[in-house]
Amino acid sequence: MDPTLISLGALALAGAAATVSGCAEDLESDVGSQSNPNSQVQLGPQMGNIHRYFNKAISGEPVSYGLYVAVAGTIAWALINAGLNAVLAIIVGSGVAAIVHGAYSVSAFLGRIVGQSKKFGQPVYMDVLTSHIGPIVGHGFIAVFTMTLAAYLATTALGNPFPLPLVALIFGITVGAIGSSTGDVHYGAEREYQKYPFGGGIPVANQGDIDIYAEYGVRNGLDSSYFCSRFGGPLTGLCFGLIIFLDGWRSILGNIVGGDLVTKTSIALLVGLLVVAVAAVINRKLEVYARNKYGPYRN
Amino acid sequence: MDATSFILPLAEITIAGAIINASVHFVPVGGAPAAMATSTGVGTGTTQLAAGAGFTGLLAAATMASQAGVSLANPVHMLLIMLSGAVGAMIMLGLTMLIGQIIYVYGIGIVPAADKCEKDPITGDIQKPYITPGTTGHGIPTVCFVSGSIGAALGGLGGALAYIALQQLGFAAAIAGVLAVGFFFMNAVLASYNIGGTIEGFHDPKFKKMPNGVIASFVSSLIAGAVLIGMAMGL
Repeated sequence: MDPTLISLGALALAGAAATVSGCAEDLESDVGSQSNPNSQVQLGPQMGNIHRYFNKAISGEPVSYGLYVAVAGTIAWALINAGLNAVLAIIVGSGVAAIVHGAYSVSAFLGRIVGQSKKFGQPVYMDVLTSHIGPIVGHGFIAVFTMTLAAYLATTALGNPFPLPLVALIFGITVGAIGSSTGDVHYGAEREYQKYPFGGGIPVANQGDIDIYAEYGVRNGLDSSYFCSRFGGPLTGLCFGLIIFLDGWRSILGNIVGGDLVTKTSIALLVGLLVVAVAAVINRKLEVYARNKYGPYRN
Repeated sequence: MDATSFILPLAEITIAGAIINASVHFVPVGGAPAAMATSTGVGTGTTQLAAGAGFTGLLAAATMASQAGVSLANPVHMLLIMLSGAVGAMIMLGLTMLIGQIIYVYGIGIVPAADKCEKDPITGDIQKPYITPGTTGHGIPTVCFVSGSIGAALGGLGGALAYIALQQLGFAAAIAGVLAVGFFFMNAVLASYNIGGTIEGFHDPKFKKMPNGVIASFVSSLIAGAVLIGMAMGL
């Protein structure tokens, strides 16, 4: 088959896998309250808000996801080199990463919550631990599996010279950076503060005054993933998928148009710059839209 | 290995470190406060965002460098590898800022506004009236987007230059990749000490501290380069 077609197919699959991965990663961090909005969950009991959120941010999202995906990639790589089928090897590697993730989540949750028990009266709800750990590990498995698959495609079909574990580590760090930059905003500034009117940032004076009641009953991390799966999660997935797809597509486009090395690369560079320029224009349009639609706070 | 064959890589590594440090200062990072829409910028840590963009650039540069017919001795090819890295990093950060902006505007309902300038230096829009009282701005205004794009380009350029230098020292692609990742982190962390939390971009007063960070990275990269040359010589 034509190598260009194979590259395009692999790129499409890698982009789709990355999209699922970004979405699952963000929703996992919402259930487990990892990364930036976790500062508010941590601050809650000190402000008198006893809550039933899971709380597991010991390190940042990029670093922890770098770890999980690198674990999965390393084991998959070793098994592939030992002769196992690639898909099976990636599944086994992601399974081990899920166990690592689960162990990390349990110790992180107990450590963080116990730290606030004596002084601020925050109870350690064991049912929160048992009910949240499944969705955390499950979402984490989907994120790690799809990302390791994307990394495998990058090394075998898309011409990346790095070994699978290194590409997996880089993808893990990248998806963590994207998830904590985009999806966490929806969980942090919107979901945690829904008792305040919609619109506007969270003033410093309100920080730690998180919502502890949901639409029905007491709120927990599972409610957060339900809420964020309608906007923050899918957009995070779209972001990572677009990055993987567009970054690969510009190189393949150069190869399709052809010519010598300098011509092909110049086309790839120009297409890349065009993508950034389009993003800048849409960003500006959104800014103008928000200024006209919401208006100033004070004149 | 004779002296002349490692002077050029040493110079490249040192310059690459200084460029990576400078690049981080351009990236609009608001950390946890930005995730709460309490400060302007992208809602994650300085090192992590810069690393995420830089590594995407590194992957693009490595893919370019491994193409048939590329010679690291050819200055045109070196330039193409570095530009590939720069554009790869720009795509990553540009799309992250754009999707973040969509969530800020539609999911949170805020007006993107910068706190560190009266008027956006690029569009001329007045900023202060649009900032929620009790916060120091929010979202990704145009000046931050432009500054971030410049930072990403520099980060990708620096990462790619370090990768080229490591390959010129004789490291295989895999080892050069691992070392480049570590080297990038080292300089991004140094820059984040200089920034100390949040920065909006080149219009932020903290940006004036950049020369200190660049000097620190220059010195540390020189030492790291000497160690890497030792490794390449098998010491």
